[in-house]
Amino acid sequence: MVDNIAIASLPLPEFAKVRYSGWQLDELTPATENTKTTYFLKNTISGIEVSGQSTTYQHLSENMIAQGVIVMGMKQAQMVYGPLVNKLIGSVISKRADRLSAQNYEQFNTGIFVYIPDQVKFDDVLHLTLNHLAMSGQDFVARIFVCVGAHAKVTILQEMHTIGSEKTKASVVIEVLAKVGAQVTYANIDSLGEQTTAFINREVLVKDHATVDWQNAEFNDGNVVMRVASQLNGEGATSHANVIGLTIKKQTQGLVTTVLNKGRHTVGHIFQRGVILNRSTLVFNGIGQIIKGAKGSDAQQESRVLMLSRRARGDANPLLLIDENDVTAGHAASVGRVDDEQMYYLMSRGISERVARKLVIRGFMGEVLMKMPTRAAQQKVMSEIERKLQYEDD
Amino acid sequence: MTTLKVENLHVSVAGKEILKGLDLIVNTGEIHAIMGPNGTGKSTLSQTIMGHPAYQVTQGNIYIDGQNLAEMSVDARARAGLFLAMQYPSEIQGVTNTEFMRAAINARRPEDDQISVMSFIEKLDEKREFLAMTEEMAERYLNEGFSGGEKKRNEILQMMMIQPQIAILDEIDSGLDIDALKVVSRGVNSMRSNEFGALMITHYQRLLDYIVPDFVHVMMDGKIVKTGDANLAKKLEAEGYAGLRDELGLDVHLTDEETNSYFVED
Ligand SMILES: Nc1ncnc2c1ncn2[C@@H]1O[C@H](COP(=O)(O)OP(=O)(O)OP(=O)(O)O)[C@@H](O)[C@H]1O
Ligand SMILES: [Mg+2]
Repeated sequence: MVDNIAIASLPLPEFAKVRYSGWQLDELTPATENTKTTYFLKNTISGIEVSGQSTTYQHLSENMIAQGVIVMGMKQAQMVYGPLVNKLIGSVISKRADRLSAQNYEQFNTGIFVYIPDQVKFDDVLHLTLNHLAMSGQDFVARIFVCVGAHAKVTILQEMHTIGSEKTKASVVIEVLAKVGAQVTYANIDSLGEQTTAFINREVLVKDHATVDWQNAEFNDGNVVMRVASQLNGEGATSHANVIGLTIKKQTQGLVTTVLNKGRHTVGHIFQRGVILNRSTLVFNGIGQIIKGAKGSDAQQESRVLMLSRRARGDANPLLLIDENDVTAGHAASVGRVDDEQMYYLMSRGISERVARKLVIRGFMGEVLMKMPTRAAQQKVMSEIERKLQYEDD
Repeated sequence: MTTLKVENLHVSVAGKEILKGLDLIVNTGEIHAIMGPNGTGKSTLSQTIMGHPAYQVTQGNIYIDGQNLAEMSVDARARAGLFLAMQYPSEIQGVTNTEFMRAAINARRPEDDQISVMSFIEKLDEKREFLAMTEEMAERYLNEGFSGGEKKRNEILQMMMIQPQIAILDEIDSGLDIDALKVVSRGVNSMRSNEFGALMITHYQRLLDYIVPDFVHVMMDGKIVKTGDANLAKKLEAEGYAGLRDELGLDVHLTDEETNSYFVED
């Protein structure tokens, strides 16, 4: 089944300035772990929690059920809605996009499937919680597909966690299809564990007059390469891709955020903010591409990283590829530092060193933080910041 | 009453002795001014009091109300009542002015009695308007892209928000235009009370016309060489440091002496 030779001949996905070929993300043994425990969702929150291969929590509001919303574990969806699921998977991120995505396509054995029919609108946030069970030492290979129908309006909050502390790898591919006029806010809080080395690839296909906004918080503790991409295919399609990242200890997080303006009058904005502590590395690559014919389009990007340690390494690389004249585009990037002199200044007003650091970090990420869709999600990001700061003196 | 007491202070920077036995007492209710030639150690004194890590105390002590500062971290010193308006304030990306000042106020209050957002905003608006600062400036990252004069004004805003017992103002007047100088002076004067004392470092008599000091100290070569009242500053302005040095019979070299006499001869 697995066409190893063909997959091996595909190139690794490109994460400029991140050396990750040694992470061996292309050698995965999919885990088959199960659990009965629900770790995060409770109290009739709308959504689903999948841990390893088990779906332990599933709840939809009356309103969602009445409107025909489908949310289920990927394996179950393949059984119940086989033809639909199989047609959709691979339609946003091609089966052979790159070596790691292709491998995910061949090997995934868990995940989540979401289908939102045309015209459906709901106000409560749909939670998709995906937990990697790292108890057996095998790897997590998961796929998520979210199909949002024409003129539907939804807000999704996806979280990823590692449960257990075995050294493992994870490959998660997330495809989102936003049909004509759909309005989607897709927030992600990724907090995979220190011992999880991961490849995460998420991409949305945005049709005519649809809007998809990403709010991504990369708070993983291990080595991660993460790509988030918006293909603006339809006339007037819009996407804001906001990403924040915080790295600690000796970890590396290498991120690529891509917006491809294909349709006319498409708008793609990338906004990235990262903070780097200890000896860690954080790389932001921003790619804005406007193809010939995408007249009246707009591609903007801003990436800034802040280093709170002398031994940290940070990079912000903006790339604009423009093949059309009738467009607007711009980019800004910076790598800054908070040094001893600045800490002294903050502390000279009575603020403790710990609070001073927290201020810098929270302030720097504030704009994306405030866009998290629920109070709980904002709180979660703040507590992730606090949690990461505890390692600060290591 | 709060007292800042500097006793026989010797300080070295990068292995070089800058302060050479300095004594000074500042009480709340008093305004002190320190004047002195460039490079004489005025900023060194203020940074040492605040606890900047580059400045090594090699002899002597500094106390605030009997507590020895040597045992206190920078933030603890501030919470004990000290404030330093710096000659060159840092710019800090990521932290808005507002958030910064709120954290500074809250650092002085117990965890279960933090200032409410409403009363904080009210206070900020009041002080900000007093200093003719725009709302937009309060929302910007701390000092980032501020002009020289705006930074100085922002230092005074922080002082007015924090309401310290003893404030050291290091050249708060440099880089200010005439109107701004009046605004900033008004800010400092508004703090004058029995609960507030200040040590102002300045090069110009003009500031002391607006904020009339109770004491004027002249510093040369790492020591206070003369103390007087406001008239001492006027005399200095007229006669320069060389005159005072010769009067006191000090053996101190002044960097700009040759240049000055050159101009005189011209
Ligand atoms: N961090 C430092 N590293 C090295 N030398 C320093 C440092 N800080 C001060 N010095 C030196 O110490 C001496 C006193 O400097 P200081 O800044 O205290 O002078 P000042 O009286 O404030 O002068 P000005 O009127 O020009 O502000 C100078 O020779 C200066 O070069
Ligand atoms: Mg100075």
